[in-house]
Amino acid sequence: MTKNNKALVGLLLAGIAMLMLPLVISSFWLRIVTGAIMWVGLAQSWNMLAGYMGYVSFGHGAFFGIGAYVTAILMAKGLPFIGALVLAALVTALFAAIIGQPTLRLQGAYFAIATWAFAEGIRQLVLVLPFTGGANGMRMEAFLNENFFYYSMLLVSAAAVAVTYFLFQKAVFGLRVRAIREEETASQALGLNTTAIKVKVFALSALFPGILGGVYAYWITYIHPESVLTPLIADQMVVMALLGGLGTIAGPIVGAMVLFLGNRILWVMFGDTSFYLVLLGLAIAIVILFLPDGIVSLFTRKKKTGEGISKENVRNITG
Amino acid sequence: MELLIQTIINGLLIGGIYITISAGFTLCFGVLHVIDFAVGEWVMLGAFITFIISTSTHIDPFLLLPLIFVMFFIAGYLLQPTLQRVITKNKSNALLMALAFTFGISVLFKGAALTIWGFNERNLVTILSGKSISLLGINIPSLRLGTFVFAIIITIVFLWFLQKTRFGLAVRAAAERQDVAGLMGIDSNMINKVVYAIYTGLTACSGALIGAIFSINTEMGVRYTIFAFFVVVAGGLGSIEGAIVAGILLGLLNSFISVYIGGQYVFLVLFLFLYLILLAKPKGLLGKGW
Repeated sequence: MTKNNKALVGLLLAGIAMLMLPLVISSFWLRIVTGAIMWVGLAQSWNMLAGYMGYVSFGHGAFFGIGAYVTAILMAKGLPFIGALVLAALVTALFAAIIGQPTLRLQGAYFAIATWAFAEGIRQLVLVLPFTGGANGMRMEAFLNENFFYYSMLLVSAAAVAVTYFLFQKAVFGLRVRAIREEETASQALGLNTTAIKVKVFALSALFPGILGGVYAYWITYIHPESVLTPLIADQMVVMALLGGLGTIAGPIVGAMVLFLGNRILWVMFGDTSFYLVLLGLAIAIVILFLPDGIVSLFTRKKKTGEGISKENVRNITG
Repeated sequence: MELLIQTIINGLLIGGIYITISAGFTLCFGVLHVIDFAVGEWVMLGAFITFIISTSTHIDPFLLLPLIFVMFFIAGYLLQPTLQRVITKNKSNALLMALAFTFGISVLFKGAALTIWGFNERNLVTILSGKSISLLGINIPSLRLGTFVFAIIITIVFLWFLQKTRFGLAVRAAAERQDVAGLMGIDSNMINKVVYAIYTGLTACSGALIGAIFSINTEMGVRYTIFAFFVVVAGGLGSIEGAIVAGILLGLLNSFISVYIGGQYVFLVLFLFLYLILLAKPKGLLGKGW
C-alpha cells in the first residue's frame, strides 16, 4: 500500500467512527464532542486567513456572532431553520467581502487591531440595536435533538477542513494565497490580483464561522452579546490554531481538540473555576515559548504548508 | 453652558490618566515592536497591589506611587527576557507571536487575580476622596484633579528622561533603528529590558490612579486594554506626541458621549472611530506613527 492509500483508509475509518459516535457515547459527552467539532471548524476558518495568507484577524468572532444573530432574527420572523441558516451564511460572507475590501489594505498589526475594533464595534452595535434584544439577548424555540446538531456541526466543520485541504493546500489558488503571505508586493508585480484574492479568502474564512454561529444559536437556543460576540471567541480561534500549528491542515484540528476537551475535562473535574484561566494562560505562554510551530511540529519534519511550486504550476499561478 | 464646561473639564482630567497608560505602551511598541495585550492587566494589578499595601499600612495611595513604580519596574525587567526570546525565535512573525504570548500572559494574570481576590469590588481611599473644589459654579472633584496632576507629573518626568538624558537618547536611537544603534555601541538587550520595565511601571502607576477614581475589580483590565489600543492607534503606533493628543481626545470623547448621547454608546462610537481612523489614517491622526 502506498502512503497515500494508507492515509485514505485512515481518513475513511475516522469518518465512519465520527458518524457512528452518537450511538456509543452518552448525550453528555456528545454535547462536548459537538462543541469540540464546532471549534475545529472555527479554528480552521481562521487558519485559512492567518495561516495561509498571513493576515492575522483578531475579530473573527464577529462573523460567528453575525451568523448566530441573523439566524435568530430570521427564525423569529418565522423562517424555517435551514432557510434562515442559508440566508445567514450569505449575509455573513457578503458582509465580510464588503468589510474586507477596505480593511485588507492594512497589514500586520494594523490589520489585527482594525479587525478587533470592528468586531468590538459589532458587539456594541448589537447591544443598542432595537431588534437584537440588547444585553438580554434572544431566545429561540428549542429543538431537542442532539444528534441533529452533532451531524450539522460535523458537516460544516468537515466542509471547512475539506475546503482548506483542496483549495488552500492543493489547488493553484492556494499557491497564490501563499504567495501573498510570503511576499505580497512581489506577487502583485507578478500579475496577481491580490485585492481580489484577499477579499475571496476573507469572505471564505468568514462564511464557515457564520454557518457555525447559526447552528450554535439553534443548538443553545439562547444567544446574547456576551455569549456569541465575546472577544474570547476570536481569541480562542487564534490560540487553538497556534497551539496546533499555524498554516497546517492538522494544526487547528489538533489545537481545537486539545484546548476544548482540556477545558471541558478541567471543568468536569473542578467545576466552574477561574483557575482554568491560570492554566490556559500558562499553556499558551509555554507553547509559544517552546513550541512555536505548534503541536503538529512534533510529528512532522516539514514545518510549513503544502508542497512547493512544481514546474507545471509556475505558469498556472500567474495565468 | 455650565454642563458643557463641566463635560470638557471632566474629559480633560480623565484624559491625563489615559496619557500615562499610553505613553509607556507606545514607547514599548516603538522600541520592541511589540503590542502588549496584557496592558489592561498591568493596570488591574497596579490597582490591586496599591489597594493591598494601602489598606495594610494605611499609607495614602498617592505616596505609594514610587514604590508601585519600582515594584512593577522590577517585574517588567524580569519578564522581558522571556518576551524577547519569543520575538527573536520567531523573526518572521514576531508580532503575532508576541501578541499571542502577551495574550497568554494577560489570561494568566486575570485568572490568578480572580482566583486570589475573587469578583468583589474594592475602593481605594485617598486623602482627596470625597472632596471637591468649586470654581465659578463648576464643580471639580479634588480626587480627579489630584490624579490628573500626578498623571501629568509622571508623564513629564518620563518625557524628560527620554529627551534629556543620555539613556533616553539611546532609547530613541534604538526606536529608530535597532541594528544601527547596536553598531554605535548601544546594548539593545538592556534598552529593551529597561523600556519594558518602564512601561510596566508607568502602567501600574496609572492603575493606582484609576483605582483611586473608579472602583477596582479583577475584570477591569479589558477596558483599559481597549483604551490603550485606542489611544495608541489614534495617535499613531510608536508616536508619543500622538499618544498625548489622542489621550486627551479619548477623555473628551468619553465624557461628551456619556453626557450628550448616552453611556451605552461610548464603546460603539470609540470602536467605530478607531476602525475609521485605521482605514483613513493608519499612521494616526498626526501622521507620526510607524
